[in-house]
Amino acid sequence: VYQVFESVAKKYDVMNDSMTLGIHRIWKDILIHKMNPSPGTLLLDVAGGTGDIAFRFINYVRSARERQLQRKLKHHQNLSWQQIFESYQKDKCNSLGDSQVVVCDINREMLKVGKQKAQHLGYSEGLSWVLGNAEELPFDDDKFDVYTIAFGIRNVTRIDLALQEAYRVLKPGGRFLCLEFSHVSNPVLSRLYDLYSFQVIPVLGEVIAGDWKSYQYLVESIRRFPPQEELKEMIEDAGFFKVDYENLNFGIVAIHSGFKL
Amino acid sequence: LRCQHSTPLRALQASAALRRVSDEHKKEPLTSPSQQQFDPHPDGHQPEQEPQGLRPSYTGQGGQESEDCESEEQLQHRILTAALEFVPEHGWTAEAIAEGAKTLGLSVAAAGMFHSDGSELILHFVSECNAKLSELLEQEQKRVQLGEAEKKPTDEFLRDAVEARLRMLIPYIEKWPQALSILLLPRNIPSSLSLLTSMIDDIWHYAGDQSTDFNWYTRRAVLTGIYNTTELVMLQDSSPDFEDTWRFLENRVADAMTMSNTASQVQSTGEAVVQGLMGAAVTVSN
Repeated sequence: VYQVFESVAKKYDVMNDSMTLGIHRIWKDILIHKMNPSPGTLLLDVAGGTGDIAFRFINYVRSARERQLQRKLKHHQNLSWQQIFESYQKDKCNSLGDSQVVVCDINREMLKVGKQKAQHLGYSEGLSWVLGNAEELPFDDDKFDVYTIAFGIRNVTRIDLALQEAYRVLKPGGRFLCLEFSHVSNPVLSRLYDLYSFQVIPVLGEVIAGDWKSYQYLVESIRRFPPQEELKEMIEDAGFFKVDYENLNFGIVAIHSGFKL
Repeated sequence: LRCQHSTPLRALQASAALRRVSDEHKKEPLTSPSQQQFDPHPDGHQPEQEPQGLRPSYTGQGGQESEDCESEEQLQHRILTAALEFVPEHGWTAEAIAEGAKTLGLSVAAAGMFHSDGSELILHFVSECNAKLSELLEQEQKRVQLGEAEKKPTDEFLRDAVEARLRMLIPYIEKWPQALSILLLPRNIPSSLSLLTSMIDDIWHYAGDQSTDFNWYTRRAVLTGIYNTTELVMLQDSSPDFEDTWRFLENRVADAMTMSNTASQVQSTGEAVVQGLMGAAVTVSN
């Protein structure tokens, strides 16, 4: 797995766009929308290498924080100018409302690309980059509000261990969110999807990234991955409650959600 | 789920044992491999892992719920009740629910269990208010039965019941219009309508069958009309302690009473007219 992603790291984003025809951006947007994070949330994004989820999280929290501040100002209609100025200053410095995201990935190259992207796009505060293995996270218990793993869990050898680690590092009340390729139940669509996956994607991999084998591996790992109901049961086994999944695009991708209660 | 009475570790093991017993007939092959995985792990530095390994799968379809810890529903209830405190500041939103969860020691992400528009919070509040109203009316009825209080005439009873129920909105009155608009969303209409009708039925039940002029549906419709219009008046009322609203309520209830009297008068007049016509017809035929 490590070598696959080492070679893939630099071209990762480009490949994502061409493989999914840009739809992966919408999937990730939907994930963050479903999360609906409020300012002050601590997010752990595992296998989040190039930072897509992290950047979206920061954008969402920033606008939520702005709305929150506007509401606060409306509330404080009868304060003196001095008081308004002081609270404005304090809040301005806290544009994220103490929200933070930790991006954890097993692969140094992916993290490097992510850090460069962050610099390039101007994301500076609220971000941390940590090298770590999803099956054995380098964090203490009960630390994070939300744990996400987007298109990463199928690359984990022991999914149950990763789920248990997720359970461990989440605070009570914390949420587990998993965005992953899943099984298409519609037979017509399924055949089209198979055709596209096995014929088109490895070819794109060769043309864009010069790497047929990695993308062949990718498509096969998607087929091997457990379907929605089975993943739901695995998540429940790790101790999560209110486990549910939402199919996007008829099951090409699914978002699983669970709570540590 | 947290068991607040015993120490967390023992409670987890106890609940795991309970669950295992109750879940034994379900998912047998799934539990044994997970148990085997955890035996070789060292016990010392990761005590949390062991009970989790022993815990069998939770059947999410509302199946077995552990007997000694609270259920998901109860926890959700507690979160929503705690969230009400933050409604005046944040409105009926997921943020209020997040703040409520925080006071219970849970992560703010727990608000994700509910819809992002705060529907569940509002419905929870409405049903709590209805429950409080029922209790009030029940106690009043007991007092009347014990002879400690006089039985009120219908119009006064209705007036007091509606006023008591509407007064529960006062702490949240600023954000109540928002709540009403959310209750009117198609998704929420079945629940909000059923809550409303059960509350109205409750009031009539405790009012007793004093006026035989109305039939059941008319009674329900009339009181629902009175309640809804008074609620809307209350939202725009700026008089001290909402006295304009209570006066409006008094007038509406009086109208309803008069209407019933008029209706019965019309009915008896109608009967008299019919009898007169019959008599005339008989006379003519003779």
